[in-house]
Amino acid sequence: MDSELIRRYIYAVTKRLPRKSREDVAKELNTLIADMLEERCGQVLPTEKDVRVVLTELGTPAELYDQYSGEGKKCLIGPPYYATYLYVLRIVTICALIGTTLAFALSVIAGERENYWFLEVFKWIGMLFSAAVAAFAFVTALFAFFYHKEIPLDGSTGLDNLPPVPEKRDRISKGESIFGIVISVVFVLVLLCCPQIFCAVTENGEVYPVFHPQAIRGTWYLIVFFGLAGIAGEAVKLMDGRYTRRVMITVIVSDLLSGICASWWLLGHELVNAEMIEALLGYTQSNEVVRILFTNIQLLLWGLILVVLVIDAVTVAVKTGRTEEREEGK
Amino acid sequence: MDHDEIISGLILELRRGTLILLVLNQLQKPKYGYNLVKELKEHDIPIEANTLYPLMRRLESQGLLKSEWDTGEAKPRKYYSITEDGRIVLKRARENWTAFSGKVDSLLENGEEDSNG
Repeated sequence: MDSELIRRYIYAVTKRLPRKSREDVAKELNTLIADMLEERCGQVLPTEKDVRVVLTELGTPAELYDQYSGEGKKCLIGPPYYATYLYVLRIVTICALIGTTLAFALSVIAGERENYWFLEVFKWIGMLFSAAVAAFAFVTALFAFFYHKEIPLDGSTGLDNLPPVPEKRDRISKGESIFGIVISVVFVLVLLCCPQIFCAVTENGEVYPVFHPQAIRGTWYLIVFFGLAGIAGEAVKLMDGRYTRRVMITVIVSDLLSGICASWWLLGHELVNAEMIEALLGYTQSNEVVRILFTNIQLLLWGLILVVLVIDAVTVAVKTGRTEEREEGK
Repeated sequence: MDHDEIISGLILELRRGTLILLVLNQLQKPKYGYNLVKELKEHDIPIEANTLYPLMRRLESQGLLKSEWDTGEAKPRKYYSITEDGRIVLKRARENWTAFSGKVDSLLENGEEDSNG
């Protein structure tokens, strides 16, 4: 009975320790407890009460484990990352909720309606919940990674690297980042939930969806990736609050990845509804330029996205360059 | 105001800082953990086993102590002793401690004189 209690105690202390030290610690604790019992009882056989007193003196298994596990990182996200984590988490969650609500409203307007209004409300709450969980998971994983890899936050690495107080024109407004994140969320959700919202209506009242819903949903991972790349760029902007080299690199990499993603998406899949193009071509009386434009609409869309991404990357690079120049001038 | 709580916290902090120095000093001859606990207790320096055992492992992983199991006796015992690196650290830490504690003592004595005078 007594030795069973000791076995349980030692097991509770050692079970979460690294495998290589587990057995060694267990053996050492076993002898220690035996020594402490001997000290207490002498030659008399220890009773259960003695065992309890000795184990209580040693402390709870959790306390002892804590001592053995050393001074390493014992939490998922610790200081100085925690404050920034909370800040970014709050904003990203709010953005995700706003974006989800907008996407939901659009889908209702597009005619995806339930039979009863309360089903609509349930659906909305369900979407809000999923969005909040996804935002939480994404930001938490990102910051846990920063914390454990000790990726320095702006201004946390000593006096020489303290960031200057940004001038008003060097600051990235919170609103800009929030807008960017909301747009990303709406983009992803609308495409995934109700791609039929994009549609062409002819004069006769015929409705043609622009995209094949099946094709769009089949490429969900590309759409989600595209959205996440955008959010990651905005998250770093929120973190630094001004155009730093890190913001520039993140935005350029995220634009690059988005570009690759968009190329794969638009050049490798048939997304646009051919019926719609046919109908529109019939309607425009086959003007040659219009025909070429319409039949290559995916190519056109691709070009448009690339231009936007390039403009975004160049803008950030120029703004970062200017900010750095001004800061060096100080 | 609870003076006792503040004082016990302060004493704990002071002890924690000197513990490594004491452990390295006492392990110039090989000893097992409980042996060391009792020895320090005899010198009126009570250290809990649950602090000392993990500390010795930590010092071993830092290369300041080495250990060896003795399985010849009735109970298997792990004997710890200081390494060459440990001796170097001990020497410098001891010098530091002597100088520092001397200065603290002299300041504290002055303080006492001031408050008496």
